[in-house]
Amino acid sequence: MTNLAGAGPVPRQLEERPRRFVPGQPDMWVFVLFETLLFTGYFSVYLVSRTQNRELYLQSQSHLDLRIGVFNTIALLLSSWAIARCVQAAREGAYRSALTNAFLTISFGIVFLTSKVLEWIKQIHLGNTFTSNDFFQHYFFMTSIHCIHVLIGFLVLGVLVYQLWSPARRSQQLVETCATYWHTVDFLWVLIFALLYVVR
Amino acid sequence: MSPSTTKPAVSMTMPQPPSGSAMNRFLWNFRHHPKRELWFAWWVMVIFYSLYGVLFFLVSRVQPPPSPAWSTPMVVHWFDARHYGILAGFGVVFLISGMCAPMNALLAYSMRRMSVSRIFGYSYLIMYSLSAIPGMLVMAIAMTVGALRPDRDPEQIHWLYDFAFLSFSGTMGVFMIGSLVWLVAILIDKNGVFPKWFGYLSLCNALTEVVVAPAWIFQRGVLAWNGAIAWWINMVVFVTYTCAFIVLLRKMIEREDFVTGPLPDLPRKRVGERSDSVGAAS
Amino acid sequence: MSTTFNKRLLIVWLTLTAMTLAYVWIDHTADHNGTFTASTVVTVSAIVIALVKVRIIFREFMEVRHAPALLRRLTDAWVVLVGACLVGSYFIGSALAS
Repeated sequence: MTNLAGAGPVPRQLEERPRRFVPGQPDMWVFVLFETLLFTGYFSVYLVSRTQNRELYLQSQSHLDLRIGVFNTIALLLSSWAIARCVQAAREGAYRSALTNAFLTISFGIVFLTSKVLEWIKQIHLGNTFTSNDFFQHYFFMTSIHCIHVLIGFLVLGVLVYQLWSPARRSQQLVETCATYWHTVDFLWVLIFALLYVVR
Repeated sequence: MSPSTTKPAVSMTMPQPPSGSAMNRFLWNFRHHPKRELWFAWWVMVIFYSLYGVLFFLVSRVQPPPSPAWSTPMVVHWFDARHYGILAGFGVVFLISGMCAPMNALLAYSMRRMSVSRIFGYSYLIMYSLSAIPGMLVMAIAMTVGALRPDRDPEQIHWLYDFAFLSFSGTMGVFMIGSLVWLVAILIDKNGVFPKWFGYLSLCNALTEVVVAPAWIFQRGVLAWNGAIAWWINMVVFVTYTCAFIVLLRKMIEREDFVTGPLPDLPRKRVGERSDSVGAAS
Repeated sequence: MSTTFNKRLLIVWLTLTAMTLAYVWIDHTADHNGTFTASTVVTVSAIVIALVKVRIIFREFMEVRHAPALLRRLTDAWVVLVGACLVGSYFIGSALAS
């Protein structure tokens, strides 16, 4: 990414004269699009199997608490917001602010993960486990595979913090790449939430 | 971003093959080309995967997998219908299983060419060599034992059926760790041996292998060993991943310059120029 | 820090949160006496709202707004593709079941 001549850091011109750039490594976008298709496959299988057994799914779904799902979604949206702010701060050279936002992202991620684990425990206490019935099979499967992505996300955020920490590193492209991964984790959850908690 | 598009180490020591028929050139390359072992390994890999597909899907017809929920009579009938296919198909699998060696070696070689520690290559080799046992051979043995005596006690045949498929699908963990080793190597590599998107694709592949793990628990449904998620979607990702690395390994061999340091990009070919590869399509 | 960006991001986050809370309203109106009933309208609108949120995340949070045309079109195509698969699966499944 080259600076516009003599104009200081790029982003102040971004709105006035938007210059097209791919956020982060294009390679990460390949991953994002592919993984989205993969999850769509899982979602489609869930929806088809749902329609074959509506009563069971509806009855099981009623055991889920929508408020927890909403709380989870808002936690991840907050984390996405924080990492978006982090990327912009880094672009402007405000690395202390960027680091603060990166730590905020991690914190909201931890809130999400904790709340998910607590929800699983609650469901297990209610007698709903991975093998209870088809709905809960999908529920535990989708939320678990998503949580694995969240855990990988923490590794990615670790790379992000490592990059931001020292002036010797701070590759903007790598910062944006990490952010792209984290946003993917967020929007995948947006879809999972709608499909597990709201869809009838 | 490579400074030069020539390959000094190779062109200085490599005389040109004599002009002549394709057979003459092939034989000359076979004896003199510095990359012949690499190309040999690559072709072994391509042939192995092709044969594997044919043997498992068409000859023995054990893939796509049947259901774990079947009753014993159904399982016995399944074996009967595939009696000769299983014996012939897996007979050939036993013969060609040694082809895995050059294949795994080529992959480990790709890690040697990277700027990362040799530990990666060695770990990968060990993991994948061992994983062929439960991941392919145990299934082959159990299936052939099951098919050998059709008048065996049906319960034993059912046992062999479960043993074969669980071994085949359930031991994905080793392949997954192998994918992760390769993926980390690719992402931290500074020599640009593989593009980063392939590293991320390896992550997708590793994750779909995690998804097969529940096959141990479910006898029916999407996560059973024949399930929509545990087998069908998993297969789509695996085939994509395999095609990608076959193509990328070919590119790696073409770019190889036998020195350490960043792997140069391929020079742009002028029209009519012959490509520098043994056995490559002319 | 550039305040215009901060403001824009805040508005984006507020919009996404509001859309999330809209689900609570849908959930409330969808059920009669607390029992869950199947409903195509609820399903399709839940999916559509989710996809709108995904597109907003692509455009604003992931900065696809500033990306080259190829990436903009690809991400839009993906939103449509995912939508088609989800809604399609639901309808195909419903057709198979009846």
